[in-house]
Amino acid sequence: MEGRILEHPILNFQRKARVKIFFEGREIEAYEGESVAAALHAAGIRVLRYTPIDGRPAGFFCAVGKCSACLMEIDGIPNVRSCMTKVRDGMQIRRQNKNGDLL
Amino acid sequence: MMYDAVIIGGGPAGMSAATILGDKVKTLIIDENDRLGGQLVKQTHKFFGDHEHYASMRGFEIADKLLKEIQKKPVLISLSSTVIGIYPQNTVAYVKDGQIQKVQYKKLLLATGAMERQLPFVNSDLPGVYGAGAIQTLMNQYGIFPGKRFLIVGSGNIGLILAYQLAQSGVEVKMILEALDKVGGYEVHANKVKRLGIPILTGHTIVRAIGDEKVEGAVIARVDKNNIVKGTEREVVVDTICVAVGLTPLIELAEQSGAKVSYIPELGGYVPLRDERMRTTNKDVFVAGDLSSIEEATTAMMEGKIAAMQMVEDLTGENLEDKIYDDLNSLAIFRSGPKSAKIRTGLEKMGINVPKIDLPKPQRFERYDDSKLHAVIECTEEIPCNSCEYACKFDAIKVGININSVPSFDPAKCTGCALCVTSCPGLAIFMKRSEDKAATLGIPYEFLPLPKMDDKMWGLDREGNYVCDVKVKRVVKNPNKTNIVYVELPSEFADMVRHVKYPSKESPYVCRCEEVTLDEIEKVIDLGVTDFEELKRLTRVTMGPCNGKNCKMVVLGILSKKTGIPISSLSHGTSRPPTKPIEFRAFLKEGEE
Repeated sequence: MEGRILEHPILNFQRKARVKIFFEGREIEAYEGESVAAALHAAGIRVLRYTPIDGRPAGFFCAVGKCSACLMEIDGIPNVRSCMTKVRDGMQIRRQNKNGDLL
Repeated sequence: MMYDAVIIGGGPAGMSAATILGDKVKTLIIDENDRLGGQLVKQTHKFFGDHEHYASMRGFEIADKLLKEIQKKPVLISLSSTVIGIYPQNTVAYVKDGQIQKVQYKKLLLATGAMERQLPFVNSDLPGVYGAGAIQTLMNQYGIFPGKRFLIVGSGNIGLILAYQLAQSGVEVKMILEALDKVGGYEVHANKVKRLGIPILTGHTIVRAIGDEKVEGAVIARVDKNNIVKGTEREVVVDTICVAVGLTPLIELAEQSGAKVSYIPELGGYVPLRDERMRTTNKDVFVAGDLSSIEEATTAMMEGKIAAMQMVEDLTGENLEDKIYDDLNSLAIFRSGPKSAKIRTGLEKMGINVPKIDLPKPQRFERYDDSKLHAVIECTEEIPCNSCEYACKFDAIKVGININSVPSFDPAKCTGCALCVTSCPGLAIFMKRSEDKAATLGIPYEFLPLPKMDDKMWGLDREGNYVCDVKVKRVVKNPNKTNIVYVELPSEFADMVRHVKYPSKESPYVCRCEEVTLDEIEKVIDLGVTDFEELKRLTRVTMGPCNGKNCKMVVLGILSKKTGIPISSLSHGTSRPPTKPIEFRAFLKEGEE
């Protein structure tokens, strides 16, 4: 199950404005204030990159900016922590292959 | 820019320190997130402790309260700021908006917290193997479902709390694994989870995750003295594996600041050496919270305050000794119970002596008068909490000076107000009245949907097994979201039932055409229907387009099993045409419309 929690016994989720972000060119539902990793997870995307040496699929582990497992290419810049980067309108996100391409 | 005090990390320790430093000296607090609160912001459970230290408040509420206090003071807050290092001349370098910034401090408080430990097993790098905190971030901070079916590895307080929170968000927790032979966390946390029907398998661990691009399952096995017992491996189908096997202090900045670190496993691994007042081996650098020892947010807040007061004394010469002693004393009492034995050992290695205090046994009272509504307290483990005593306005509950003591309860003084039920962070207090035949039970309830008056529900025991049907008599909604559901049930079950849930709708479909479940068929038979033709008319089984070819024998089998009549003696109905679904048009004569 992916998607967003609408009703919760303790918390009251109030979503901010909808923003347009793109994953591999495809538009993904996202709301202001969400991290890139969170918005992608809500859309069912768990593989965030392929590792540099063995090319294994990887996702986040800690989701709070410590483990560096969630590095992605965001707006052309590789090795960005997707869990600490908030979504922005028009953002282009790509799965990072290996170490990413700086050019 | 030079500050008197720089705090790195705006979690419970750093925020508490800021509330003290803020109006005494020029203070800057730096945090990597876009708001203060640290991990408190995703804690939806009520905290243990005493009233002065926010007991009974939920984690995110404590974060809000601390933030409001800080905002009243002239503290500079730098958010979304990633500290990259501590440099000579007391310099902190951090990145904000893509730019390196530098600030200097006279005194530095490091409250950088901890990060989740890894557990290496085959495929533990697969997407879908997440730390407990990651799942809380997705679920409680962003309101995003972290998965559908969960396996939790580790039964410390974090694993237990997470299981409960996952259940609250409406997803399924298959089981919790614990490699040791007993549950690691507080008993009351474990009980909250067990009565939901989530099993805790002690002596078990995960062997591997299954899946190619993401988790599709796991292999688990029994474990004996750290070895997997061959032949006990089995597969479970889950889409998310949660690793909750402890935390590691984040010491990098402490080391860069010149503070000596030492390996003290009881405190979480490498930790900065420090004195009782949180000063490290560098006289200008202090630590607090999980960085100094992996413990509760409550102790982190006390440590933050103690460090901050000592920093104020250093910087201004103001005498705060009385207040420091008060807080050191509260902290010592908090750590004096059996659950803090490890912390005490670790602190001793550092030269800090924390006394273990022998606790008085709870006072036992005479048999309860069950004809009036009274509390039933199921809190038998010595943990640092006295919120029930604080909640009770009638002196019926006593914890005493040491908050680790087990509460004593005098039923004669209990008025049945149930304030203790609502405030207990462990949800370990129930209400009960029992007469000859029927009993009333009040159960703390933090799930959706909230039960409605007169609804029929299932009463579950302490392991989540069905005991009996119960009827909802009253629902008390509380502002703190721990509501109380009062149910009526046969009195012989009043001491067994500890949770209620709506009857499970899961039942196999027997008749696919008319969509009739086994449960529905059995209910009609239970009403006294023993004839197949009557069963057909009441449920429409066998009456769809397949003409009963799919389900007739299954239905006859169910009827035979329930009534004891052999199938050969049952009527099996009449086979009427058409035997297959055909178009009506086929009956028309040529040319007819």
